[in-house]
Order: sequence, then C-alpha cells, then structure tokens
Amino acid sequence: MAAPVPWACCAVLAAAAAVVYAQRHSPQETPHVQYERLGSDVTLPCGTASWDAAVTWRVNGTDLAPDLLNGSQLVLRSLDLGHSGLYACFHRDSWHLHHQILLHVGLPPREPVLSCRSNTYPKGFYCSWHLPTPTYIPNTFNVTVLHGSKVMVCEKDPAVKNRCHIRYMHLFSTVKYKVSISVSNALGHNATAITFDEFTIVKPDPPENVVARPVPSNPRRLEVTWQTPSTWPDPESFPLKFFLRYRPLILDQWQHVELSDGTAHTITDAYAGKEYIIQVAAKDNEIGTWSDWSVAAHATPWTEEPRHLTTEAQPPDHDQHHQLTGTPAHHEDL
Amino acid sequence: MDLRAGDSWGMLACLCTVLWQVPAVPALNRTGDPGPGPSIQKTYDLTRYLEHQLRSLAGTYLNYLGPPFNEPDFNPPRLGVETLPKATVNLEVWRSLNDKLRLTQNYEAYSHLLCYLRGLNRQAATAELRRSLAHFCTSLQGLLGSIAGVMAALGYPLPQPLPGTEPTWAPGPAHSDFLQKMDDFWLLKELQTWLWRSAKDFNRLKKKMQPPATAVTLHLEARGF
Repeated sequence: MAAPVPWACCAVLAAAAAVVYAQRHSPQETPHVQYERLGSDVTLPCGTASWDAAVTWRVNGTDLAPDLLNGSQLVLRSLDLGHSGLYACFHRDSWHLHHQILLHVGLPPREPVLSCRSNTYPKGFYCSWHLPTPTYIPNTFNVTVLHGSKVMVCEKDPAVKNRCHIRYMHLFSTVKYKVSISVSNALGHNATAITFDEFTIVKPDPPENVVARPVPSNPRRLEVTWQTPSTWPDPESFPLKFFLRYRPLILDQWQHVELSDGTAHTITDAYAGKEYIIQVAAKDNEIGTWSDWSVAAHATPWTEEPRHLTTEAQPPDHDQHHQLTGTPAHHEDL
Repeated sequence: MDLRAGDSWGMLACLCTVLWQVPAVPALNRTGDPGPGPSIQKTYDLTRYLEHQLRSLAGTYLNYLGPPFNEPDFNPPRLGVETLPKATVNLEVWRSLNDKLRLTQNYEAYSHLLCYLRGLNRQAATAELRRSLAHFCTSLQGLLGSIAGVMAALGYPLPQPLPGTEPTWAPGPAHSDFLQKMDDFWLLKELQTWLWRSAKDFNRLKKKMQPPATAVTLHLEARGF
C-alpha cells in the first residue's frame, strides 16, 4: 500500500535521527573519573575500542593532535595541572562518542602539619591541621584524640576548616594527650601524631581593645589600657599576666614591661612629641606560653599647644578683647 | 637496717606516721594579724618557687634514671597501682570545692608526696642528687607549714589520718628495678602537677579572700567561713 509507506519511512528516519542525536549529545556512560600523579605519564584507552580503531580525542571540547595517539589510546607525558579535564574519544567516521574520562592531576598527600592549642583553658583545646603542599585533588582527614587509653571526641569546628575541638573533662592530669591524624586521597595517604601535656599547649589569644592615650599636661607619658581576651573563660581563677612593648615609630628598639596583673599601664619615659606604637601580649600566670602580640595601638604624648604670634602684637584694647574670648586651639592629629 | 628492694616503701610507713603526728602549725600572733591574705600569697609564692626548683631537680633525676624516663615523648600508661595522691580532678568538682576541702586536699597531698620523696632520697645513688633532694624536701616542708598556717588562720583543723589510712606500701614481691624507676617517674610527675594545681588553688583562695583593708579586723572575728 502506497499511503502508509512514506509515514513508516519518516518514522524510521526520525528514530534514526533520534538515536544519532542521543549518541552524540548524551554520554554513552557517565565519565570515568581518573586520578593521576603530577609529572607521570599516562595512557588513556578509548574504552573498549580495539587498539587499531580509528578515533579522535578531544579535551574539554577541543580536538587533540593525532600525534599524541598510540593507536586508539591517548598518551599524555609529564602530566601537569593543565592536563586536568574531560577527555572524550569519538569514532573518527561516525562521530559516535565512545568513552569519556574525567582526569584529575594531583599528588599524594605529604605528612600533614598538626598543632593543638588551648586558648580557652580550662574549658578545652582545639587542633588544627593542614598539608604543607597542595595535592590539587580532594583529601579526607581523620582525627583521633586519646587521653591515655581513653578516646575523646573532637568536634568539628562549624566555621573553620581543618579544625576540631576537645573539651577537658579533667584538669591537672599527668597523663599525656595523643592526637593522631591521617589524610588520604586517590593517590596515597599519610599520617602523623603529636603527644603533649595539658599544660604545655596553653596559649591565650592576644589582649583585646588595646588603647593608648596621651596624658594631659604630661609630655612624656602615655596611658595604655586593654582587655583580657574574650575567649579566656575564667580570668578570676586563671589570671593572666601581661607583657607590654612600645617604641617610637622612628626607632627599632622595643621597650618591655611585664605586668603581673591589671589591664592598664602608664608609660612614663616616652620621647616628647614622637608617635609611639604599643602592643600587649598575655600569658596564664603559671602555665603555657605567651599569646601573639595584640593589634598595635598608636599614640603621641601630649604636647604643649603653640601660642599664636599674632596675639602678642595686638594693640592694648584689642589685646584685652582677645584675652576674654581666648585664642583658637590647635590640636595635632594623634 | 637491711633494705630490700621493694621494702623501702614499708619503711616509709613508719616515717609518714611520724610526720602526721607533728603538724607544723606556726604560733598564731593575733595582735595586728592581717588575716589569711598575706599567708595565702606566701603559700602561692612558695608553690612557684618549688615548681621552679623541681624543674631542675626532675631533669637531673630523670637523667640519672636514664632512658626512656628522660625522653620528652615518654608516655607510659598510668597503671593506677600506686598510692600517690593524684592532682587530677573533674573540672566542675574542682571549681566547686569549698575552701576547707581545697586546703585539706593540698595539705594531704603534699604530706604524702614529702613522705615518698624522702624515700626516694634514701635510695639516690649520687651525693649530689641526695643533696638536691634534701634541699627540695626542706622547701616542701616549708610549703606544708605555710598551708597549715593558712588553715589555722581560717580556723580549719589540720587533717589527722584515720588509723589504717597512712600512706603505707605493703612490701609485696620485690619491685623490679624498672618498676621502681616507674614509681619514681610518676612521683616527680605528680609532684609537678600538684604544684601547678596548687598555684591555681591558691589563686582562687586569694581572690576570694581579697577584702578591702578596712574589713580585715572583721575577718579575724568571723571565723565561721
């Protein structure tokens, strides 16, 4: 019958077109993910195609030169980070997509750097880690904390990457803490551990809100005030002592003062008229180490206001008038 | 007296009993007594002095014991067999200790520790070590006296041991040389930790007892803290 044949013919053509479309635009399979080591050589096979199949390779949609081919396989030498990408091989004649490889070039992890610190003694401590050199591929870290033989929970920091927190259950322990970390990625793994006593990792945060002010009518004084770090939970029972350092901007040599309590100090030997930079550090009275230096405060000691020459030369009646109203004051920018 | 290995602790029982029965309470001079404040400060200062002294003493002693005891990473399990007074305490329990208990725990701990230290001294091989240990024991005795003074000033009785709770050590099977050294290691460790704890204990006491100068005489009258 003549009438149905053209319809059937169209249907077949449409189906064929659909298949061709599907084969060209949707992946044959999800790309195979492959990790390779930086600097190494790799041969990428075109899926199950035979060695002598005629194929074309593309990376991220760009054709690759045929001189990289070894038969149907793609040979990449001395991999660098630029080699990472989506590699696809097509049958040369039909443009049928045969295989896709998502290549990630990276490195196995080196030994991680791990450190722990208690800036919230006696509440607890935290441990931070990082890799000394990047791997360029995803890494997973696993941290375990042992107090003697007891396993302690290290809670991941919600905000800071690569940090977790441990709460002290007992104080004044003679048993050391051991923190171990292992890191692994698709190309390898590594690990390290540190052991320490409760007291040795105590290091407060720097003092906050360091303010330095000139003292009126005192050209050699500066009054410095600060606050104990807000992260230190119990300054009453665990008092901090402070270390103050100051110098005029024009000199390199610091002056130091250690203060066993109080959050204020008056410098009495400042050079008149010179701008000073002042910093404060904190330490638990008995244990641990000094904090980092605080944010610097700047101040210049009080200087006497210069008198205006014009007031001296006024005729007598004007002079009296000026005395009543006062001369305008000049303030140096501090 | 023949001293068998492992029996030295037995000898301590005798010595420690003697110690308990001679509490070092200084005579109280009530007239013009500024209250417990200065003696708490003095006690605090003594703990710092002792901690400093212990650092060099422990270094020398651990070197004398030799490896692994003098290695910084040495991290042996605490077997819990020893009768040493342990400084470690639950955080909340420590915070909520009343003054009397806080002071008592300190006094009892150092009494025991002094006892054990004297035993250590007896066995120390070199004259120099014995001298350092003896000097430290004297200082530690001073600390005990100072704590006793604070307790007396606050009207707390000095702890008297109940019969049978003296720090004795049943001379069982002869302690091996290594185990004896482990005991020495833990003694020094515990002593160091106690000195750190005491600094914190006395800090707390200091803060609580900081009355303004005018209220000092009132404190002397109201002894029921």
